[in-house]
Amino acid sequence: MLGYVIQRLLQAALVMLAMSALVFAGVYAIGNPIDVLISPDATQDIRAEAIRRYGLDLPLWQQYLAFLGRLLRGDFGQSFVFGMPVLDLILSRLPATLELALAAVLIGTLLGVPLGIHAGYRPDSALSRAIMAVSVLGFSVPTFWVGLILILTFAVNLDWLPAGDRGPTLEVFGVGWSFLTLEGLSFLLLPALNLSLFKLAMMIRLSRAGTREAMLTDTVKFARAAGLSDLTILRRHVLRLISIPIVTVFGLELGSTLAFAVVTETIFSWPGVGKLIIDSITSLDRPVMVAYLVLVAFLFVTINLVVDLSYALLDPRLRRGGAAA
Amino acid sequence: MTAPLLEVEGLRTHFLTRAGVAKAVDGVSFVLQPGEILGLVGESGSGKSVTGFSLIGLVDPPGRIVGGSIRFAGQELVGLPAEQMRALRGRRIAMVFQDPQATLNPVLTIGTQMALALQAHDRVSDRAAAERAATMLTRVGIPDAAARLGNYPHEFSGGMRQRVAIAMALLNGPELIIADEPTTALDVSIQAQILHEMKALAAESGTALIWISHDLATVSALAHRVLVMYAGRIVESGPVGAVLRAPLHPYTRGLLDSLPAMTEPGRRLRQIPGTAPSLLALPPGCPFAPRCPRADAACTAPPPRVDHAERRALCHHPLEAAA
Ligand SMILES: Nc1ncnc2c1ncn2[C@@H]1O[C@H](COP(=O)(O)OP(=O)(O)OP(=O)(O)O)[C@@H](O)[C@H]1O
Ligand SMILES: [Mg+2]
Repeated sequence: MLGYVIQRLLQAALVMLAMSALVFAGVYAIGNPIDVLISPDATQDIRAEAIRRYGLDLPLWQQYLAFLGRLLRGDFGQSFVFGMPVLDLILSRLPATLELALAAVLIGTLLGVPLGIHAGYRPDSALSRAIMAVSVLGFSVPTFWVGLILILTFAVNLDWLPAGDRGPTLEVFGVGWSFLTLEGLSFLLLPALNLSLFKLAMMIRLSRAGTREAMLTDTVKFARAAGLSDLTILRRHVLRLISIPIVTVFGLELGSTLAFAVVTETIFSWPGVGKLIIDSITSLDRPVMVAYLVLVAFLFVTINLVVDLSYALLDPRLRRGGAAA
Repeated sequence: MTAPLLEVEGLRTHFLTRAGVAKAVDGVSFVLQPGEILGLVGESGSGKSVTGFSLIGLVDPPGRIVGGSIRFAGQELVGLPAEQMRALRGRRIAMVFQDPQATLNPVLTIGTQMALALQAHDRVSDRAAAERAATMLTRVGIPDAAARLGNYPHEFSGGMRQRVAIAMALLNGPELIIADEPTTALDVSIQAQILHEMKALAAESGTALIWISHDLATVSALAHRVLVMYAGRIVESGPVGAVLRAPLHPYTRGLLDSLPAMTEPGRRLRQIPGTAPSLLALPPGCPFAPRCPRADAACTAPPPRVDHAERRALCHHPLEAAA
């Protein structure tokens, strides 16, 4: 087990190294790096001074090592637009996106998996047909459209929930969170629902297919022959048998939502990193873009690592060097 | 004479498929006494497994019991409400399957799986369940049982896995175990061991056993009586010794002649010519007629029942019984 963890950690480190090289190549070797580092309207003197300070007159490999060193120290430079360190800027926005993405994926999974299991267990029932209709809808209706409909219905017409913005946050660990207060939750609910619809559809499909397959196996037949009730079989046997693909998709969806929640964040004026990155692309705030790329890679690698490690928890056959006899 | 444990009368289980109705079990009748070991033999596709699943109420759609009766300890099982049938399964009638690799859940410890089988029927604490599971594992010959409850199926060898499955079947002290080719997937040497142990366990606990196999030799080593199945019907039944010595039905004769161990040295093994008929297109009359050396015009009519002491067969031209 320890060997497995170490192996996965090394793999993750390698992927991060490759990513940093790609970003470095994109910014330093192809573009003109000085544009990334200082504002385009700086004077010639400041430019020359910066070139020396950042070592841009040095050979590429030395520059790469210096770049790596700055990354490791969390030094992504200054934002041109906000005039503050990029890392602080992104970290101030990240919790908003983090809780939005997590809420969306959790809603999609906690609802989608039981519904999908039911649809796989009783494929011909009326409820299962309704569940599958929801899933088709979730796949085919565009996110922005659903977002607008949600705002129209719940914010404009019914006036139950706020139409956008993040509302008040509660400070924990020096970071503001919405989900800790009821009012904060009311702001979080609509954008999270909006983002969760696709994930719900996905989880329903996945659990339904897994359940249908599992129900036909000898494992389930043997459990039924032992007198287990169908509910116990679904909860104890089937859920465990289908958990690996569910965890995989959970991780993938969490990663991609963190990185690409842009549409929903824009519609609901949610102050997350998605909105930040779109803003910085339009204003050519390059240090922010570089930091964002590195950070997204880091998030994906971390999530994949956690998913990989949870495989070993979920499937004992993947644990190596365990108590095998 | 004691009351029979199981009386099956005219059981018919059909599969309503798009291609037509497959009469997998079509008029099966037999009686099983408490503690008796009954062998059920026949070629692949003859309906042995479907018979077993019918008894335990686990025929999956498109299959359905369409007729007949199954009386277990005096209680009618055909048409029994699902919850009552579930309560019976595992507790009074248990089943062991062919491939232990496929039947045990690979991601749950065997301790958990055995606890679930106990807790399906009684309020048993996890600790008490573990104790009972360990006791049963020891009885089926698994060394150091208590320590192995935390192991997963892949940490056992094939033979040990099947022992775990057998222990699970025995766990609630059932009156009947249906064993569907439980040794077919195992090495020959382990087959013999498990066969032997199964027989001892059944005798020890007074459990009746229906042993399903396509192998007459296995059945002859184990069973008291044997049913020979062909195309969904019991074509011959009787005490193992008598049936093997002098079968009434030409199909049984054919099965015997194709067994190496049963043939005198020097005589050639003979396969039964032809293949098992499609259940969707059975010939009228005797389904074995197209492959039967004794068949004639009479065989296009349904075969009559032939009674010979304790033995029965469905045949127009039974072989001479040597009394
Ligand atoms: N799910 C199903 N759908 C349609 N027909 C089925 C189904 N299951 C079984 N049958 C029919 O029932 C027949 C008997 O199957 P069964 O599994 O009982 O055979 P068997 O005697 O156990 O054979 P084997 O030795 O191969 O296990 C098959 O030939 C098939 O036609
Ligand atoms: Mg079978």
